[in-house]
Amino acid sequence: MSDTSSRPALEMKHVSKRFPGTVAVDDVSYEVMAGEVHALVGENGAGKSTLMKILAGSFDDYTGEIAIGGRTALLHSPTLAKRHGVGMIYQELSLARPISITENLLAGRLPRRGLFLDKARARAQAGELLSSVGLDLDPNLPIEDISQHEAQLVEIAKVLGNNPSILVMDEPTSALSREEVERLFAIIGDLKSRGIAIVYISHHLPEIFRIADRVTVMRDGKKIATRLIGEVTREEIVQMMVGRSVKEFYQRRERSVGDVRLSVRKLSRFGFFHDVSFDAKRGEILGICGLSGAGRTELARVLTGLDRADEGTIELDGARVQGSTMADFLNQGISYLTEDRKVEGLAVRLAVDDNVMSAVIDRLSSGGVFSKARGRPAVERLITELSIYPPDPSRTVGNLSGGNQQKVLLAKWLANEPRVLILDEPTRGVDIGAKMIIHSSIEKLAATGCTVLLISSDLPELVGLSDRVMIMRKGHFIREMPYHECSEESLLLAATGEGGAT
Amino acid sequence: MSNTMPGRADAPAAVAGTSTPAGIDTRALRTRSFSSIVNTAGVYAIAVLFLALGALLQATGAISGFLSAQNMLNIVDAVALVGIAAVGMAFVTYSGNFADMSIPTTMGFTGYICIELLRYNFWLAIAGAIGVGLLIGLLNGFVVGKFKANPIIWTLAVNYVTMGVIRLVWVNKQIYPDLVGSPPSAVALFDAIYRLRFFNLIGLPLVIMVVLVVVGQFVLTRTSFGVKLKITGSSPRAAKASGIAVERVVMLSFVLVAFTATIGGLAITSLSRVGAWYNGAGYDFKAVTAVVIGGMTLAGGRGTILGVLGGSLIIGILNNIMTLLGIGTFSQDMVRGAIFIAVVGINALSLRRLGRDDA
Repeated sequence: MSDTSSRPALEMKHVSKRFPGTVAVDDVSYEVMAGEVHALVGENGAGKSTLMKILAGSFDDYTGEIAIGGRTALLHSPTLAKRHGVGMIYQELSLARPISITENLLAGRLPRRGLFLDKARARAQAGELLSSVGLDLDPNLPIEDISQHEAQLVEIAKVLGNNPSILVMDEPTSALSREEVERLFAIIGDLKSRGIAIVYISHHLPEIFRIADRVTVMRDGKKIATRLIGEVTREEIVQMMVGRSVKEFYQRRERSVGDVRLSVRKLSRFGFFHDVSFDAKRGEILGICGLSGAGRTELARVLTGLDRADEGTIELDGARVQGSTMADFLNQGISYLTEDRKVEGLAVRLAVDDNVMSAVIDRLSSGGVFSKARGRPAVERLITELSIYPPDPSRTVGNLSGGNQQKVLLAKWLANEPRVLILDEPTRGVDIGAKMIIHSSIEKLAATGCTVLLISSDLPELVGLSDRVMIMRKGHFIREMPYHECSEESLLLAATGEGGAT
Repeated sequence: MSNTMPGRADAPAAVAGTSTPAGIDTRALRTRSFSSIVNTAGVYAIAVLFLALGALLQATGAISGFLSAQNMLNIVDAVALVGIAAVGMAFVTYSGNFADMSIPTTMGFTGYICIELLRYNFWLAIAGAIGVGLLIGLLNGFVVGKFKANPIIWTLAVNYVTMGVIRLVWVNKQIYPDLVGSPPSAVALFDAIYRLRFFNLIGLPLVIMVVLVVVGQFVLTRTSFGVKLKITGSSPRAAKASGIAVERVVMLSFVLVAFTATIGGLAITSLSRVGAWYNGAGYDFKAVTAVVIGGMTLAGGRGTILGVLGGSLIIGILNNIMTLLGIGTFSQDMVRGAIFIAVVGINALSLRRLGRDDA
């Protein structure tokens, strides 16, 4: 810890926040010192986000006391929170894409000379903010012309422009590559040295061990413990998060692989992937590994009928897949769990049951008349099977935690009773409890003879679940690995092409 | 393929490593159906409030005759016309495409078509008018569904183009059913569209509206089309990625509004006994307002046809009170506009309060 001798920059004492029917934050006390990175971890739904929303001024009815810089602060609106020096960096960017970096950075406080904008001064201020996050960009560029990770850094610069004393970062690395993460960590180090208190929320425990000074674990709205990072192990944190000791996370199941179910030959979608051929058998979990941009998602979208192939064939149990629309494909038993849960996966404003039945509407209808009752047993069974919480079919999906939303998405595709289930990042951004349930559900599905294609950037997940992993690089299948050769290291080496061709 | 939806028989009953969380929250179990009942009931409660307002105004002497049987009949007849258009409009709003602004001239245009064809045969005239109406709906649905045109802009444009066509073809003239050489029997049938009353009381438009409401409510809640429309309206991209033919669903909703607009247009043309471009004027906004007051939010995927009927009732009572008060047409438009803005605003605010904005 760099500076803990100093006073706490933020003190939250006995803070609670109730929603109708639940206590989202239950008597939590939490403090962050100036110049400290204090990690906040917990499963989805543990109350981290609500705690941070309180800090951001989203609620005017929380209870308890919050002190900033030693003085009591009433954070009843976002403006008040900002004025007290709280800066929030969310996963989703809040930048306006068509306008320039300068205008985004200085939104609401553009320097003026008389009636007019002082362009020279605006440019200079923007340049200064950009360099504080290590960016060397033309501040006149519109946001849409810069890359995703640059935009993320601009977002940080924007928040820094308000001179915050407390900075909250919510999963800041989820969209970044390795090098970009390193760059972000360097910036965080710099912010620390400037005495800014940083709340760091992440599911990614190794990151926390790299940059945090202390870690606080939350579960079910309560604070479980706060520990110095040097005095706690990863296993202890996980145990506190899930409230039980984690057994062998991936237990190797007995594999009984059957005949070929999915047979893909010389499949191409020009510009995305080329000449892809493989067979996947009944009961097999076939991992697909590759960096982002390798063509994994594009391949999945063709296999599922969302996009059309330019060349090649897809056979299911020895017969060509009939038809060309996604409806045709899913009626023949191909389910595709998208990586984009909120936009393509779920209608978040609708209820759990509406979503779970949404891919099988025609099958639940006869003569155009839809029978919800016919789908209800399956919905209830899936809710139980996947431990969707709360177990209420009529709950609006958007009000569930991220992990439970992901379970609903999986339930939707299990309801199709797939012969082939294509999973695209099935556990991205979900908590450990949900991840375990999703994994065991995948394994059980495979045990019933379903073929699973698992696309994942989570290497332990690929290693732990796959019977075989196909490596994709730049739109080509370059090799396959049986599970006993798979390790995080071997997959990463193959996917990045270290020491290999291309 | 042996896919009947309810489940793989051998599916795992429970998942290892976790138990279902105890303390099942049953309070929320019935909230959804309950809240939609409250919403719909709320619309009718407001309608009753407006009735009470009318009675109060009569008691204070500000208006007279509000509570008379004749006036009640006037209200119901007006509600029928708005309601017919609003049922169709509800499908477009529910699909997430806001509104079909082309219904005023669809109503006018199909009125002309009907009168022109009346000289051959009454039923042919009706079929011809409906056919033309459906074509307009198909065009709107195709362009909005397939090419993702902005529904408001596109249908407004179609409204004006259709108006131009009317003025070109009929050289700015109104036409009269009895002056185009139609057989008197056909003219009599045409007049009866609006004037036929069962038991000397219940008008044909009212019967048609009730049928449309019942069928509409059934289609929206009990058919595969309705369920697909709900998902499409809530999240078009999720609908597409669920294998739903979004273009077709949207197209059908525009065909439905064109159909009900045509029926409404025929009733109005029969009422006025003249084919005129302005026959449907104002029905775009009246219908949208009825839909929104009826609890269907502009964001799509929410609301019921029964609520929309309540909304039409409110619009009908309000118009009647304003007319009795001697408020001019333009001022009436202003009041309706203000109510529309207020309802949309309150909806947006209350949804945000409930945290159901989009999540």
